Amino acid sequence: MFHWLEKNPFFFAVGVFLVIAYAGIVTVLPDFMESARPLKGTKPYTVLQLAGRHVYIKDSCNACHSQMIRPFKSETDRYGKYSMSGEYAYDRPFLWGSKRTGPDLMRVGNYRTTNWHEIHMYKPSSMVPGSIMPSYKHMFTNTADIETAYAEAYTVKSVFNVPYDEEDMPKLGTWEEAQKTAIAEAQLIVDDMKDPQVKEAFARGEIKEIVAIIAYLNSLQ
Amino acid sequence: MQSSNVINYDYTIAKYFAIATIVFGIIGMSVGVLIAFQMAFPELNNLAGEYGTFGRLRPLHTDAVAFGFTLSGIWATWYYVGQRVLKVSLAESPFLMFMAKLHFWLYIVGVAAVVVSLLMGITTSKEYAEFEWPIDIAIVLVWVIWGIGLFGLIGIRREKTLYISIWYYIAAFLGVAMLYLFNNMEVPTYFVAGMGKWYHSVSMYAGSNDAMVQWWYGHNAVAFVFTVPIIAMIYYFLPKESGQPVFSYKLSLLSFWGLMFVYLWAGGHHLLYSTVPDWVQTMGSLFSIILILPSWGSAINMLLTMKGEWGQIKENPLIKFYVLASTFYMLSTIEGPIQAIKSVNALAHFTDWIPGHVHDGTLGWVGFMIIGALFHMAPRMYKREIYSKKLIEIQFWIQTTGIVFYFTSMWIAGITQGMMWRATDQYGNLAYSFIDTVTVLHPYYTLRAVGGALYLLGVFMWAYNMYKTMTASKAIEFEPQNASPMAA
Amino acid sequence: MDMETIRELQAYGYAFFTVFLAVILYAYIYHLYKSEKNGRRDYEKYARMALDDEITDSPVEKIEPEYQEKDKEERLNELAK
Repeated sequence: MFHWLEKNPFFFAVGVFLVIAYAGIVTVLPDFMESARPLKGTKPYTVLQLAGRHVYIKDSCNACHSQMIRPFKSETDRYGKYSMSGEYAYDRPFLWGSKRTGPDLMRVGNYRTTNWHEIHMYKPSSMVPGSIMPSYKHMFTNTADIETAYAEAYTVKSVFNVPYDEEDMPKLGTWEEAQKTAIAEAQLIVDDMKDPQVKEAFARGEIKEIVAIIAYLNSLQ
Repeated sequence: MQSSNVINYDYTIAKYFAIATIVFGIIGMSVGVLIAFQMAFPELNNLAGEYGTFGRLRPLHTDAVAFGFTLSGIWATWYYVGQRVLKVSLAESPFLMFMAKLHFWLYIVGVAAVVVSLLMGITTSKEYAEFEWPIDIAIVLVWVIWGIGLFGLIGIRREKTLYISIWYYIAAFLGVAMLYLFNNMEVPTYFVAGMGKWYHSVSMYAGSNDAMVQWWYGHNAVAFVFTVPIIAMIYYFLPKESGQPVFSYKLSLLSFWGLMFVYLWAGGHHLLYSTVPDWVQTMGSLFSIILILPSWGSAINMLLTMKGEWGQIKENPLIKFYVLASTFYMLSTIEGPIQAIKSVNALAHFTDWIPGHVHDGTLGWVGFMIIGALFHMAPRMYKREIYSKKLIEIQFWIQTTGIVFYFTSMWIAGITQGMMWRATDQYGNLAYSFIDTVTVLHPYYTLRAVGGALYLLGVFMWAYNMYKTMTASKAIEFEPQNASPMAA
Repeated sequence: MDMETIRELQAYGYAFFTVFLAVILYAYIYHLYKSEKNGRRDYEKYARMALDDEITDSPVEKIEPEYQEKDKEERLNELAK
């Protein structure tokens, strides 16, 4: 029987496939059926925060920063409460990262301000002497893509039943409404910022990437 | 089909892929050296505006070496080894030849699209699966075409039993196909919402589930790109170059099934102390340790193949590459399980020890094996002897030094960082701020970058030697049975 | 099907297949050595496939119609044992 398998490529391939697929079937597959339950109080991202999250992904911030506080005293002392599964229920994709070249950002919104981020993103070493983080000046000139962020929010709402527009949850509404909400939200951030060009652009109706990513980072709590 | 005495093996496609291997190797590793220097000297991030920052280049480095250099190397050897151990020539089937060419060119288009999109910042953020859905579709297509070529060639073979290398190529094909499909399940947002960027998509899985699928993929992409097909190579090239049959063919078969079964369970070790279920973590940890058995089964089998023939290691630089490759395979397959033990992982996770471990495997095992394999193929493909033996010797020692610099500095850096993160003063407060743990690493980052640069230098020497072999070396009359001919 | 049942099935599936595959693996080891010992098949000869790989070399085992017939018989014999 064994030798027969070794000479019949088709059945051999089927055999190999069964053996390698088996681990996935047992460990990963069952959990697909159980969609991760959000913690009470965990909310999906607003459109502006989602646009900021896209900036975070675009520049691969997750290559150097984790968003996963492990349950050790040394980590909770440094970064805050350890992470819970439900807190990630609306994270598509997850951004846990695999390397901490820089510190964890899971709860960075609790201890950094808009103003701090603005200066830090422009020139990290001015806030943290010795920092090896690159400066992200282009975030001050690139415009955030609110449209794609809305498209994503709309998609997860209609395909995965993410509870936008429900009681106590962020409003999504139509594209026109979402734009208004995003601008109102951005206004609060821009008011706290100093950069004249970002303010000028905002007056013209453009939301720069830096505004969106700060909205996202502030939402990480 | 019957007149086999006038048919020759057709290496056209193997040559294409060999050149692609060299080109992508240079690109991917140059980017790697650049980002290594960026970590020591952050001003280097400003060379090309937003396109030159570490964040943009890091995925480009990993994907260019994994899916550019390594995949090309795998396919170069497949289109060479496949024909030979099945005893059938690609030239015998115009259809398979056409598929092979299509495979190559579609793949090149795919890689070009990857390079451009990653520089633009178009990424899904999932490690080693950063590509957005249009590229995913192209990759699936390339994979299916390779599959048709793979099973097609097996279908017209003269050798009844499949050699162990073929087993591993089949496994690589199946494994990557399964993993890639499931990890890249995503919904293109444009088609649902009718607005936004057309290439943008959102993952089907959220949070902890997404993490679990990603590391089931991420870990096993390592298995089926960096391990399985490389074992396929060593099972062919080491015996062929040395003239020694595999020490124990039975052991090679057993290790195969062991590896196939055990590898897939170990993905959980990337998620220790995270929010995925505890039993998944424990399972990942446990199976990582079991994984030593089949891994060492293959590696020891390779070393024992050289039993009584160790003199060759002095005479033949290619044997040096193969033997060191299997040694590094042993090193990284013992290092990995150690890091997967929960208490060790608590210290090592998120630190530089992890990239250190990865590079033990990729530089030492994958890189050396591919370099050695292409050197072996060159005289047979181009009917010329290798241009310079001396250059290979120098290259070998430069690259080995580079790897030693790399992993020693990363071991020290990783453990230093891990210890400093958890260090407390006498009152139980954290002893160091985060930036202290970054600045302390500067010398190690510098040393690592130098190590990487040495390895890259070796790659350039390899490229030069290969180029000269193709164009300017002395022609040979007939193909050598074993040891590759090389000019001093 | 609720999560509880799925988890239970998962546990049974895991336990059953692990035992099943372990048995297969040991049966395979037994098969490899047994068939070599009683001279039915020498697995080590397949290692020659990498060494004698010229297109003009004769295959370790040729693909021929009558050969396949013989193999089929052998398979039946093997099953009968």
